Amino acid sequence: MRFKAQIHNIHTFTKLTASLNSLGPLAWLKLGDEQVCFTIIPEQGTQVWAVLSIDAIFDTYAVQSAANNVINLEVPLGPLNRALKSALNATSAQIRLTKKDNIPLLALTIATTSSNNSYSAFPTGGSRDDGTMFHDQFAANRETIITQEVPVRVLAPDTVSGLHEPQTREPDVHIILPPLMQLKSISDRFTKLALAGAKTSSGAAATRTRLDMAANMHGCLRMSIKTDAMSISSVWTDLANPELDPSQVANGDMGIAEHPSTRMKLLGSADGRSEEGWASVRIDGKDWGKVMSVGRLGGRVIACFCHEHALILYVYLPTDGGEDESVLTYYISSYSA
Amino acid sequence: MVVLNFTLTPEAASKIHDLLVCLGKFSDTVAIEARRERLTFTALNSSKSAYAALTLEGKQFFSTYECIPSHGGLDGRFACSMYTKALLSVFKGRLYDPLGRDGAIDRCEVSVQDRADETQCRFIVKMICNQGVIKTYKLTYEAVDVMHALFDRNSATNRWSMNAGAMKEYIEFFGTKTEMLDIFAGEDGRAVFKSYTEKISNGKEILKHPLVTAVAVNTSDFEEFKVQPGLHIVISVKDFKAIVIHADTLKTSLKAYYSHPTRPLQFSYGCDGLLCEFTLMTSGDYNGATAPTPAPAPQIASRVASRAVSAATAEARDNRSMPPPVEPASRRSARREVGSRQPSSPPTRPQDDPESLFVNQGEEEDTQWEPVDYNNEEEALGWDASTDRNAGNFATFQDSGSFSRSDGVQGNADSMEGIAPTQRVSQIKGLW
Repeated sequence: MRFKAQIHNIHTFTKLTASLNSLGPLAWLKLGDEQVCFTIIPEQGTQVWAVLSIDAIFDTYAVQSAANNVINLEVPLGPLNRALKSALNATSAQIRLTKKDNIPLLALTIATTSSNNSYSAFPTGGSRDDGTMFHDQFAANRETIITQEVPVRVLAPDTVSGLHEPQTREPDVHIILPPLMQLKSISDRFTKLALAGAKTSSGAAATRTRLDMAANMHGCLRMSIKTDAMSISSVWTDLANPELDPSQVANGDMGIAEHPSTRMKLLGSADGRSEEGWASVRIDGKDWGKVMSVGRLGGRVIACFCHEHALILYVYLPTDGGEDESVLTYYISSYSA
Repeated sequence: MVVLNFTLTPEAASKIHDLLVCLGKFSDTVAIEARRERLTFTALNSSKSAYAALTLEGKQFFSTYECIPSHGGLDGRFACSMYTKALLSVFKGRLYDPLGRDGAIDRCEVSVQDRADETQCRFIVKMICNQGVIKTYKLTYEAVDVMHALFDRNSATNRWSMNAGAMKEYIEFFGTKTEMLDIFAGEDGRAVFKSYTEKISNGKEILKHPLVTAVAVNTSDFEEFKVQPGLHIVISVKDFKAIVIHADTLKTSLKAYYSHPTRPLQFSYGCDGLLCEFTLMTSGDYNGATAPTPAPAPQIASRVASRAVSAATAEARDNRSMPPPVEPASRRSARREVGSRQPSSPPTRPQDDPESLFVNQGEEEDTQWEPVDYNNEEEALGWDASTDRNAGNFATFQDSGSFSRSDGVQGNADSMEGIAPTQRVSQIKGLW
């Protein structure tokens, strides 16, 4: 079993682990030949299935194992994130799977030449005419090398063979979400208000903060919260409902004609005032706050609403070129009441 | 009768704040020992494995300094002990602010009231603020015999020195929750600082094991590095972090002196009349095997261990060992270093201003994305419409904003309870 790679996009990798860490402390990391998959399945709350193209974060990537060159690991996200953070100013960062005292580790080797080295009594760069030979000779051992060891568990293929991505029915409404920072600050505010109301009235009773999220096929998104004492809602309009690609839908054009979203297009209005045409889900406000953590990656987000059933978010990582896309899929179940 | 009066500039008062924050990480109480020429803050941690002595030179550090101990002649002293938190609620952060904003002071006057004709003994601190506001704090104290750890630098053959700012960058790589720090002098021109935790856990627990971080630094990045190659020495990473963070506030160089594992190690730094010395217990080789070190005589190891338990019982001991004997009259061997210390750099201290108009890029942006912690009481909505709610829960003792966050001191270790434990609320009323 062998895994070794250069991390070429340390910022993305760090933000990714930070976002995932807010949902659960442990991730199933599947290192394959063409993809790297992060999966978080918490006890309760939102599941994430992230599929990343290798070049989204890695360079010179090599993985070998007896099981079709796939390695499955259980990784603690907190320490991994912490380790990656120390590489933010690195000149190079390498990650590899290794073993110490029989404990498998993901070892990060980070080389930095940050301001640290400039403190030394040894002058660098001051006199340019020292010649490049001189400079190069010392550049290599001028670096400070940091190694971070993240303990991991190797998962047998049998262990993970029972894990499957959730199946959902065709969504009723799909819509591109407004900027997540905007959405997050409003939903956080709503959740706070609901909690404050619950505290004064029912004391220690289990505080549930149910956010009502709804969207229609005319570019509207509505977020609302109701308690005994109040009801607040915010409506976004003029959002985009992306067109379905016939090649991606079962039965092509026929499938689109029969698609639930096609029916939903006939209902509701673009000003969001109509009571018809909304597909809505009830989700937990605190859990939603954790999901919104993905906003730091700055990707485009498409939300798919299955009325009274589930909300699925597809977060597309921004890519430099037009290569394979990396996508994080969030499965959020709707509460019945 | 004791006479102890001194005056501090805002810069010096702010340095007192910084050193109290540092000492607070070692002990709940801090001892103050005043002599004719100098004042020393000392702290000994509860396991007696770390001892700190921060000495302020009477002439250099203070604007005015006067100390006449009641007895003991030239070598006499006045010693007392106080809660670190009580002193910290007086010496808050941001006492020194060139812009003269809230919390800034003009000068600070301290006197000790310890007279037979007074019913109360008090440590009195007067903060003279702008616009003629004077805040007077009267703190109770406990008379104590101060213990000193003795350290013989002549026997400490291994020594290094490094800019504290650079060292601070290294400690930031360390994972949280680690316990030990192994300082290793490699044979390849590198020194390795490795933070780790000794506890080996099994099964699922393995994933909760803290990060092991090793920072390999070129010995040429040190100002001085004279350590026997292959030598490992292990200290507490928490102590080391506290020391480095404080040394960095002085923008000076951190010097380490040690002989071999199980013998004490001393960190020393200072400038402008402030000399800081930390004497720490060390332990042996990480993983036992590698790197032959000069084997300490076996009985020394056991003596140190037993001493940690029985340190309070005073008996004659050789003056190189740690922890210290209870022997108040003894002189500290390191004292002779004091006079020769040169100020290394001017104490310019850039502060992160929480009210700055400039958005702190990076960190700040990242925290915005964190899920809100709704269990955090201070975050709860309430009727308090004042803008700076974040410093503490007690409006009466509130300083202007967060007092210690600006130091880059992480964590909530120094989060303040508003009221100093040595004072009653009734005594405080009327001052505000």
